[in-house]
Amino acid sequence: MTDALLALREVAKSFGDTVALSPTTLDIAEGSFVAIVGPSGCGKSTLFNVIAGLLAPDAGAVLLAERDVTGTTGHVGYMLQKDLLVPWRTVEDNITMAKRLTGRVTNEDRAEARRMARAYGLGEFLRHYPSALSGGMRQRVAFMRTLMTHQRLLLLDEPFGALDAQTRLEMQQWLLQVWRDAERTVLFITHDVDESIFLADRVIVMSPRPGRVVADFTNPLVRPRTLEMLTEPDFIALKGQIMHLLHGGAA
Amino acid sequence: MRTTRRRLGLVARNVGVPILSLVLVLVLWQLIVVGFHVASYVAPRPRAAIDSVTQNWSLLWPLVLGTIRETVYGFVVGATLGFFLGVIMAKVSFLQGLVYPVLVLSQAIPIIALAAPLVLILGFSTAPKVVIVAWIVFFPVTVNVLDGLSHVDRDLVNLAKVYGASRWRTFWQIEIPATSTPLFSGLKIGATYAVTGAIIGELAASDGSSLALYQEHANSNLNTAAVYGTTMVMTAIGISWFLLVVGVEVFATPWRRRTVARRWPWRRGRDLVDQ
Ligand SMILES: Nc1ncnc2c1ncn2[C@@H]1O[C@H](COP(=O)(O)OP(=O)(O)OP(=O)(O)O)[C@@H](O)[C@H]1O
Ligand SMILES: [Mg+2]
Repeated sequence: MTDALLALREVAKSFGDTVALSPTTLDIAEGSFVAIVGPSGCGKSTLFNVIAGLLAPDAGAVLLAERDVTGTTGHVGYMLQKDLLVPWRTVEDNITMAKRLTGRVTNEDRAEARRMARAYGLGEFLRHYPSALSGGMRQRVAFMRTLMTHQRLLLLDEPFGALDAQTRLEMQQWLLQVWRDAERTVLFITHDVDESIFLADRVIVMSPRPGRVVADFTNPLVRPRTLEMLTEPDFIALKGQIMHLLHGGAA
Repeated sequence: MRTTRRRLGLVARNVGVPILSLVLVLVLWQLIVVGFHVASYVAPRPRAAIDSVTQNWSLLWPLVLGTIRETVYGFVVGATLGFFLGVIMAKVSFLQGLVYPVLVLSQAIPIIALAAPLVLILGFSTAPKVVIVAWIVFFPVTVNVLDGLSHVDRDLVNLAKVYGASRWRTFWQIEIPATSTPLFSGLKIGATYAVTGAIIGELAASDGSSLALYQEHANSNLNTAAVYGTTMVMTAIGISWFLLVVGVEVFATPWRRRTVARRWPWRRGRDLVDQ
């Protein structure tokens, strides 16, 4: 029916009287980078929790590679604003955490974790505990742990929300580099409109009460993305449209 | 090297300072006894108390072993029981409401009142003392494990779930390590009470030869030096057991005081996988 990696079919979720997510249908193409922006409480995290299987939707279906995964877990990589590294494991052992939780960590897994950490500037810290790392480094480890799930779909819920502006910009460029190497499909929640346009192929705008998708923009910016693009007319125009939806219009 | 100097500094602080405070206690004791002209049958000098121990060591040693045995058995039984009770109460919420009041009740019973029925049931063996020690030890362990398990970061548990982890893996890989701090707090509290429990047990359920009775005997003979000496021995057992638990904690939770993981010889193969 569809060549999308992820397909949501009329997925809905309420908490009591709060409609966190009204029936939503969405297709996410394999290999794409899709950003979701929207004000607080519009159901972004709820959407992720339904896709990941932490929440069973009240109605609708979640299809991953045409397989119905509604209400089940174990099929996505997932990362939050909180890095959720475990303090009792070294950087290397945190990166291989998914394997430790679901199977056995093999020497190949360890070698892969080390290769990745070295490639992305954390080679010196493999044997360190997370308490020795800066916020940006911790988020990088958390992202490598997410990659090591070997899932095709990665859900990132405001992963850089807690970082300062400078580190965040570095992390965005780093993420684009890793994403290009790793060939995964990314769904990325953010409050930062600049961030969504800088990173994504597609920007989905959501709105609260009831939580729903109100717009779906295709990003005209070409890849690779550069910092100069942040001031291009195409960028400014798209940002204006999204800002209008978020703050201007009577949504 | 700087690290060596830092380590020496740490050792000095962690070992030297406690020893210094012990010496200070002895000095203070000596000063009070000598300064106020305290009669030797009221309070001996530290030297006399220590001599009473060393001179009777062959007599004391089997009794000390007995107390150690009661302490260790009781602690192991109590800590194990306490751990699993805490886990069960954290995992099965209706049991929590059912069992918690009983546990609190169990601690409100004076230990002395427990002794008589325990002797009736178990006789004058090591068993009633072990039960009394376990009775005291399990409670702080249960309370701390329950508290720790109830406060594990929900997001972390959810992350494990998203990855597809079983409840069993999540429990051992996430929830238990996340509970290590309160778990060891409970164990350390239990360790300090364990010897006290063993001595109370020996007093209340003893068949003749025990450290507690030895002290009672010395007391009725007005052998104050031996009374103090025995107290010092009991205290030493308590402190040693506490320190052992602290040692296990230090060994089991390296991430709390290190920034880089230690290299273990038996894991060398693992460290060489890609070199
Ligand atoms: N477990 C829950 N129980 C009850 N209500 C919930 C629960 N989770 C979310 N909600 C409600 O659902 C709505 C959507 O929440 P959600 O967390 O998805 O928002 P969000 O878009 O991620 O917000 P933010 O940007 O602040 O993270 C909110 O009104 C929230 O209060
Ligand atoms: Mg959210």
